[in-house]
Amino acid sequence: MLEARHLVIAATLNGEPVEAIHQLSFTLAPGRVLGVVGESGAGKSMIARAIGGALPPGFAITGGTLRLGDEDLAGLPPRRRLEMLGRDIAFVPQEPITALNPVQTIGAQLDEHLRRLGAGRRRARRARALALLDEVHLPDGAALLRRYPHQLSGGMCQRVLIAMAFASRPRILVADEPTSALDVTIQARIVQLLAELQRLEGTAVLFITHDLRLAARICDDIVVLYAGRAVEQGPAATLLTAPLHPYTRCLQLSAPAMQGPRRALFALPDRMPSLNEVARLPGCHFVARCPVALPDCVITPPIDRAVAGHVTACLHPLRAAGVVCADPPAHAPFASRTPLLQVEALSKRFRTWAVRNASFDIREGELVGLVGESGSGKSTLARLIMGLERPTTGRFTFAGKAQMVFQDAQSALNPRHGVGDIVTQAMQAGRNRAPRVERMHRAAALLAEVGLGEDMIDRYPAQLSGGQRQRVNIARALCAMPRLLVADEIVSGLDVSVQAQLLALLLRLRTEWGIALLLISHDLSVVRHLCDRVLVMHRGDIVEQGVTERVFARPAHPYTRRLLAAVPPDDITAPWQPFPDEMEAHI
Amino acid sequence: MNRVLTGGALIALVFACALFAPLLATHDPNEQDLLNILLPPSFAAGGDPAFLLGTDSLGRDEFARLLFGARLALLVAVSAACGAALLGAVLAHIAGYFGGWIDWLIGRAVEIWLSFPPVILSLILMVGLGTGADKVVLAIVLVDWTRFCRVLRAEVLVTARRDYVAAARLAGFTHTQTLLREILPATLPLLITLLSLEMGIAVIVEAVLSFVGLGVTADQVAWGQMIADARTSFAEAPWTLLIPMAAIFLTVTGCNLLGDGLRRTLDVRLVTGRA
Repeated sequence: MLEARHLVIAATLNGEPVEAIHQLSFTLAPGRVLGVVGESGAGKSMIARAIGGALPPGFAITGGTLRLGDEDLAGLPPRRRLEMLGRDIAFVPQEPITALNPVQTIGAQLDEHLRRLGAGRRRARRARALALLDEVHLPDGAALLRRYPHQLSGGMCQRVLIAMAFASRPRILVADEPTSALDVTIQARIVQLLAELQRLEGTAVLFITHDLRLAARICDDIVVLYAGRAVEQGPAATLLTAPLHPYTRCLQLSAPAMQGPRRALFALPDRMPSLNEVARLPGCHFVARCPVALPDCVITPPIDRAVAGHVTACLHPLRAAGVVCADPPAHAPFASRTPLLQVEALSKRFRTWAVRNASFDIREGELVGLVGESGSGKSTLARLIMGLERPTTGRFTFAGKAQMVFQDAQSALNPRHGVGDIVTQAMQAGRNRAPRVERMHRAAALLAEVGLGEDMIDRYPAQLSGGQRQRVNIARALCAMPRLLVADEIVSGLDVSVQAQLLALLLRLRTEWGIALLLISHDLSVVRHLCDRVLVMHRGDIVEQGVTERVFARPAHPYTRRLLAAVPPDDITAPWQPFPDEMEAHI
Repeated sequence: MNRVLTGGALIALVFACALFAPLLATHDPNEQDLLNILLPPSFAAGGDPAFLLGTDSLGRDEFARLLFGARLALLVAVSAACGAALLGAVLAHIAGYFGGWIDWLIGRAVEIWLSFPPVILSLILMVGLGTGADKVVLAIVLVDWTRFCRVLRAEVLVTARRDYVAAARLAGFTHTQTLLREILPATLPLLITLLSLEMGIAVIVEAVLSFVGLGVTADQVAWGQMIADARTSFAEAPWTLLIPMAAIFLTVTGCNLLGDGLRRTLDVRLVTGRA
């Protein structure tokens, strides 16, 4: 149905020709789900944009074909393309809330879409809209039609968008990270919904994601992209159980596990080469980071070859199995018994209770995870502890300094200050300001501590990658020599390889400096990997707390059980029942 | 970048005229030559080479008046804009950063202030204060600080919610330090834009006040006065009206272009890509 043959998407960047997608071939058959997996910058979204005919300025399809049925999408007249979009080709976007028009009701937006599809008169369109909302299991459709997007949750908005996407019974559906902005429990529901409709309608789905675990669950076939090149593709089951490209293997090993004993994460060094750098690499693009590369990989360009049912672009596919993690880290719970932070019945009320009666301790050098869905009060609790909010009732005592690492590194770093100034902020506070030479000296030491070079000192935040920004964010917190770091979602939104590097950094800070950590995260596997103890928050209450292994193995509170079940199990052959408590899978 | 250059060149030209007015002018701007009234510019038919841009109804040299008028226009523009910016920006930063009742108080003050029509307010002020360039500046500052306060407060509010502001507080910064080092750099591009727009507005307000005779004393030369003087004779001598108007137009355009261009160039948020 959708078929790419040796597809090349190229542009001219800084005067050099670069290829964003290199010789990509795949086939997407009706009723199948094809997963496109890769880290940010690998070219995943470029494929979606090529299908939609919305490549970024300067980029164009310069080679190969991209066909839907018997039409070539590359050479389509604009008029015909417009006809196809939203009719034959539908999209489910990444940010559901921003994808809907905030000043129009859901009803008006659905109606506009249906009118374009030619769905009869006003009354017929309304009936159709209600039927569509019912199909995506949104209750009380009539009331929903009168609502505005901001009155709906992210999950509901995504359902509305999915309803719109399926309204035309499209031949292919492109879902670009449809769940990465949503909570795990919502993610599970959305993914199930997509799978259900897709089976019902026999739609071909192109599912773009960075989450290998999720892709394994819902895709029939998977393409792994690295620097614009498909390094491996094949059926999901065999590709993930026996990867034949070292990169696929590395990706798997850098994601923390949800079952079994805790293992070290594979830390891929460095980062993906940029488009300009790729153009200068004669051999395999992955060679610089590959743990099992041989000398000939540097110069010989790999060719696609079929091995054991899938296609791999590796010269030595059998070496992929040789990628192993380092020894498991010394991860015994930290021995100290000295309490560092004692929180007693802390509460904060805005209009409703954001945090209610939170009581817990953090000991010296202890790594504590705080999990829960968005809106559960996690961030408010962190801000209370940091003194950024005043508690309504309750109190806490602190034996030492605490520093915060902020969630959104983009907003946490002042774009107008250089990195050197940012990380040594604490030395400029108050009256006793340190001289610049001394500060820059300290900045270099701090940056080295978080694994950044001295040359970063003069850079501005806009010139850093996501992972680098988060490191600067951590370095700044370290400047004041805190005993406790409060880290709010600092690894979310980062690629797994960068995430693995950061988690290793946090572990090292504990072992070397004995710094305790309160890690707020919605990613349970990260908390399981890193933390000694875990707190589970639900609607402002800490509903469960305890040693991580115990909580994850035998959750006591139903909400904890629900959270854990929403994460697909590691073993892709194991059944995944996201909602064990519910008779019906969709409510 | 082109905006900065064009705007800057226009302003520099006006500045040069103002600065070197005594050297460039061939006549005293107030010297009346009743034998040569309403002469057309020297390049037009019937013009006198001694009067480059002709003379007005009292036989005063238009060119000299234009040059000396630029002095007053720029003096008022720069000091009034800076004064209004200072007053408005300080209040805006205090209101936006601290919030709460301070914000409420400043916000209401701005609203009450804005409920007076600006022209009436400045006329009332001028009647109360008396004429003179310093009074004109004071009147503009007292009327236009609200413009800065309103717009900047919104920007401060957005910036103050950023995590890096919280981070600075956690690092031990005092409120003043946080305001000056974290928030001001973010609001500065907007402040500069508003400042140069305000310069343009001040030029116009000064011209209006001088036009109605409430601006400066009669012995000082002002573009507004030139327009007022030209009213009676503009049918016979349209240039006496057009020349000061063109000067005002060019100065205001220069201010606006410079302001907009500077905002675009100064904002490091627009610096992207890896170095």
